Amino acid sequence: MTNYIIETKQLTKLFGNQKAVNNVNLHVKKGRIYGLLGRNGAGKTTIMKMILGLTSITSGEVDVFGKNIKGREKQVYPRIGAIIETPGFYPNLTGTENLEIFAKLRGTPAPNAVKNALEVVGLPYKDKKLFSEYSLGMKQRLGIANAILHDPELLILDEPTNGLDPIGIAEVRDFIKNLSVERGKTVLISSHILSEISLLADDIGIIDHGVLLEESSMEELRRKNGNYILLHVSDVSKATLILERQFGLKDYSVHDDHMLRIYDTSLDMASVNKALMLDEVSVISSQLCNDTLEDYFRKITGGDGIA
Amino acid sequence: MQKLLWAEQQKLRRSKFVWIAVFATVMVAAIIFIGGLVEYDGVRDIDTAGWYMSVAQPLATIFVLSAVTALLGSYIICREEQEDTIKSLQLIPVNEAKLTIAKMIITLIFSILLYLLLFVITFVVEAFLHFSDLSIEMVFGFLKAYFLDGLGIFLAISPIIALVSQMKKGYWLALVITEFYSFIGLFTSMSDNLKALYPITAVFTISGYYDATTSQIILSCMSLLLCVGFAAVILAGMNKTTTNCV
Repeated sequence: MTNYIIETKQLTKLFGNQKAVNNVNLHVKKGRIYGLLGRNGAGKTTIMKMILGLTSITSGEVDVFGKNIKGREKQVYPRIGAIIETPGFYPNLTGTENLEIFAKLRGTPAPNAVKNALEVVGLPYKDKKLFSEYSLGMKQRLGIANAILHDPELLILDEPTNGLDPIGIAEVRDFIKNLSVERGKTVLISSHILSEISLLADDIGIIDHGVLLEESSMEELRRKNGNYILLHVSDVSKATLILERQFGLKDYSVHDDHMLRIYDTSLDMASVNKALMLDEVSVISSQLCNDTLEDYFRKITGGDGIA
Repeated sequence: MQKLLWAEQQKLRRSKFVWIAVFATVMVAAIIFIGGLVEYDGVRDIDTAGWYMSVAQPLATIFVLSAVTALLGSYIICREEQEDTIKSLQLIPVNEAKLTIAKMIITLIFSILLYLLLFVITFVVEAFLHFSDLSIEMVFGFLKAYFLDGLGIFLAISPIIALVSQMKKGYWLALVITEFYSFIGLFTSMSDNLKALYPITAVFTISGYYDATTSQIILSCMSLLLCVGFAAVILAGMNKTTTNCV
């Protein structure tokens, strides 16, 4: 039995001859916030649409709550709340009237569901303002309110902070974090803003040109891209053996035959150099590095990085 | 289905298209009334009891009401795509076939209501001008005819609503096509067989505006049922993909 709420296997989408999504294997764990990070047009929305069954899959599989969603929409959709792209509502109705329609169609049992959802996103209940008069930020908030209206277990949010002011972004972030931490909801959120994902997500998937370049926990990513010692030696395997035996080092990673990263920066480098030299391992260089997440993203996405 | 019908009528709140339709109905009634005031050989049509209620049916239908009903019907169906609410509805999930049926039912009700509004306007004017000449039988006869006009016109234009919704080219196209479709009715009304066969004029054969034989009435019923059949085929093609929903 898998612990993944969403799992995609070799998920691929072709638009004509163009591969919008290319063999993506995504794993969203229960109760965690998964941030899908990528530039505009990277394929984030297409992946979310395929997960929700809103667009056809060219090849590959999507499992939601452990099973394929196709043909089980009636059972699965009530457990999901989603915003895909800009949320659409009826322009001639107020926010409350719009949500009342969706609540009724969903058969939402809670009598105060609309009021509660609007309160959570900071929109007034029974307000007279029509949706057509809403600002982009208000529209986005109403979209979030609609997504949480029926208290779903899984939230799929495609750039939910688009158009929000900085305070609004912080509020939405806190609210999503609370949903995950306090109420155990699973969240898949996409964004092209690195800082937003790094402040919110527990796990991260980096997508570029339809390819999932990296998938790991934020903790792991931070560890890999914080302070480290970059050691350039003549023989990496011999060097790691010495470091493990003589210094009890476990927190390191090997990059090629000559380069390794040591994440324990408190290590006495003079002693390390001496030990390596004694065992005939030449130390070509050693330097203390400090990569930011942005540096890392810039590197793996091929130079342009992410905002 | 009840939920969908409730939702559809809620969505029409403050809709400018409803007001356009009501305004058009009032305006066409006013124009026909003004036309009735014109004297021919010292006689005004409006002074003849029943003239206004009778003539308003074909004139309003051919020039305004069928087109306005088609506009509203297409708008109701197309709006989910145009206002991008279809994604939210799919995620409930809503069965698109049932949704379309609900929208068609709302259009039918709206079509009947527009004709009943026209009936009320013409009846009030007739009652004001020559109350003593109106009989209960006459008034109820017209009420039945207007009701059947509303029902029949919806059936006659249903393929256009379905076609425009499928083409997704915008609901104003429905207005243009239906205006042309209705206008042809002016010419088909000149032939006894054609007026029973052509859907727009077939409505008047059924409603009792034309004196018609039983065979003509049967032909008109078949013509309108054929229209519904066309619409159903087009809409079924549109909704083939969605099952397993509310």
